[in-house]
Amino acid sequence: MSDRPLTMPLALVLALAVIVTLFPVFWIVMTAIKPPTDWNAVPAIWVPGEPTLVNFRTLFDPEALGVYGVGGVSEAATQAVFGSLLASIVATALSVGIGLAAAIAISRYSGGGRATPLVILSGRMFPPAAIAVPFVIIFSTIGLIDTYFGLIAIYIAVTLPFSTWMLKSFVDEVPKEVEEAAMIDGMTRVKAHLTVTIPLIKGGLFATTLFIFILNWSEFLFALVLSYTTIETIPVRLAKYVTATAGTLYGVQAALAVLAMIPLVIAGFLIQNHLARGMTFGAVKR
Amino acid sequence: MTQPKLELVALRKEYDGGDVVAVDGIDLTVERGETVALLGPSGCGKSTTLNMIVGLEEPTAGDIHIDGRSVIGLAPGKRNIGLVFQDYAVFTHMTVAKNLSFGLEIGGLPRSEITRRVGEAAELLGLSSLLKEKAAYLGGSQLQRVAIGRTLVTQPAILLLDEPLSNLEAEARQAMRRELRRLQGKIGLTIIYVTHDQTEALSLADRIAVMSAGKIRQYDRTSTVYGDPAHVFVAGFIGSPSMNLVRGEIRRDGPAISFISDQLQVPLPSRFAGVAPGHGEPVIFGIRPENIMITRPGHPGVTGIVSSVEPRGPEAIVTVRSGNKSLDVVVPAADRPARGDEVVLRIPADHIVLFSGETDRNLSLSPILGAAA
Repeated sequence: MSDRPLTMPLALVLALAVIVTLFPVFWIVMTAIKPPTDWNAVPAIWVPGEPTLVNFRTLFDPEALGVYGVGGVSEAATQAVFGSLLASIVATALSVGIGLAAAIAISRYSGGGRATPLVILSGRMFPPAAIAVPFVIIFSTIGLIDTYFGLIAIYIAVTLPFSTWMLKSFVDEVPKEVEEAAMIDGMTRVKAHLTVTIPLIKGGLFATTLFIFILNWSEFLFALVLSYTTIETIPVRLAKYVTATAGTLYGVQAALAVLAMIPLVIAGFLIQNHLARGMTFGAVKR
Repeated sequence: MTQPKLELVALRKEYDGGDVVAVDGIDLTVERGETVALLGPSGCGKSTTLNMIVGLEEPTAGDIHIDGRSVIGLAPGKRNIGLVFQDYAVFTHMTVAKNLSFGLEIGGLPRSEITRRVGEAAELLGLSSLLKEKAAYLGGSQLQRVAIGRTLVTQPAILLLDEPLSNLEAEARQAMRRELRRLQGKIGLTIIYVTHDQTEALSLADRIAVMSAGKIRQYDRTSTVYGDPAHVFVAGFIGSPSMNLVRGEIRRDGPAISFISDQLQVPLPSRFAGVAPGHGEPVIFGIRPENIMITRPGHPGVTGIVSSVEPRGPEAIVTVRSGNKSLDVVVPAADRPARGDEVVLRIPADHIVLFSGETDRNLSLSPILGAAA
């Protein structure tokens, strides 16, 4: 980091970047605390005069929802929050775990030959929508539709190329000699991976985990087409706050969106240092 | 000294199912307490040899004996060998102290013993004040000392060093070389040192094994490798500037014998009469640049024109063209001729070396002497 003073043009660019990044967040948070009359007000009300938590209450109160006459949803959003947490956490853990094993296998043992990384990446070489419909049919047939098991399986399949590739680049950065040094000291190969390789890519591991978690947490398409009544996630739920009489319930939507942001913001702050290190891993002294 | 510390027997390593031969059947014996340098250009198989000794790679054929016992198939951690890597292989996520104690903790030594040995090693290598430091914040020569330290604490029977100084800057390299020599004297380890830098090999090793293309070309005392190269490769590789090597043939005229290559003709001393091949047979003529003397025209010798002069501090390397052959000569900088001067080169008979044009081997050394000692 240089200690160069922040010049005027630099400060302007920075301010612009911050505004562009944070404006949607600001708008969502403001909408979440607006009373229903302010949601669609023209001209727009930027900061509500009387902030309220009514939207959050509506989320978890079926009777309050009933007032708006929401057709699709009559029960609390609890299930969606639970569903998102379950699917995202489990799928992320497994994707990163399997990806890490694959990354070490490819980087250290040339596992599966030279083409393996590309073959794994080929899973991402078409738009997810292209496989959504076939998967609805397949999952209906084998009874995986509308189950968390099925949704998690899809999430792992979709994110695994990312986790493998990201982690592979981090493992590649670790000189294989440090593992060999540990082996000469008497460790087995596997133990050397556990005690030396993995701690050395900790930053990368955190960065990858957060990235995969964001992908899973915000995934909409598969969650929509693979769920009927048993399972639900936050993004799917968000789309359901549309009523025949009161239009889209922007405030309620915003409230749920704000809730959905919280875990990411907390995680982001917690691993901030590791994240910066993970993203600039190539600069680490060897 | 009855039993060698380490013995390599017809050691061979192939890759890609035999398409690439990295190490082509080498024999090497290292005595207890000896420092041996494996010297050669990159890709000559020296690092592969080291990896096989330590157990990171399995040989395709041949055997490795340590203290008379074969270690083939033994895990790297069970061979009691330390290896210091070129890139240090220090665990940057740990402190210096933790790095030093790592191997001992795996070995399950009692805490007090670990502390004692780490303290000793830190003292020996001047790392005592850095013990609590994270290794990620150390500089090159400090990292190198940690790398050596973490190997030394495990008290290996043999210490292997793989180009340990090549990542250091010139000054740090000098200092580290002195330090290694000091360590050598102090702990009397058996050391095998891999390097492509002949200065390092000449200054640290008791014996040098010069390798090229997976083979050991010569394995001998340091001074012998320099003075009596057994193979054309060794002659060309050791010494800077390297030995003048000219391909030509033998001319015999009664008892007189000489070397001839186009216009270049050099009479050979009688000691070659018995070992040199017959009239017209191919040989390679060798003479070190520092052994040739430059004189003025009119004197007997090889006449030529100075084609380039390269000053090198107190000395200068003068390239003299005679016909279509060039010879390098080292002269004191003050006595150097100018480009285009006509000069006569005097080639002292004592320093001439002849190699077979067919086998590239030194004709004056018996084949057995010339191979691995």
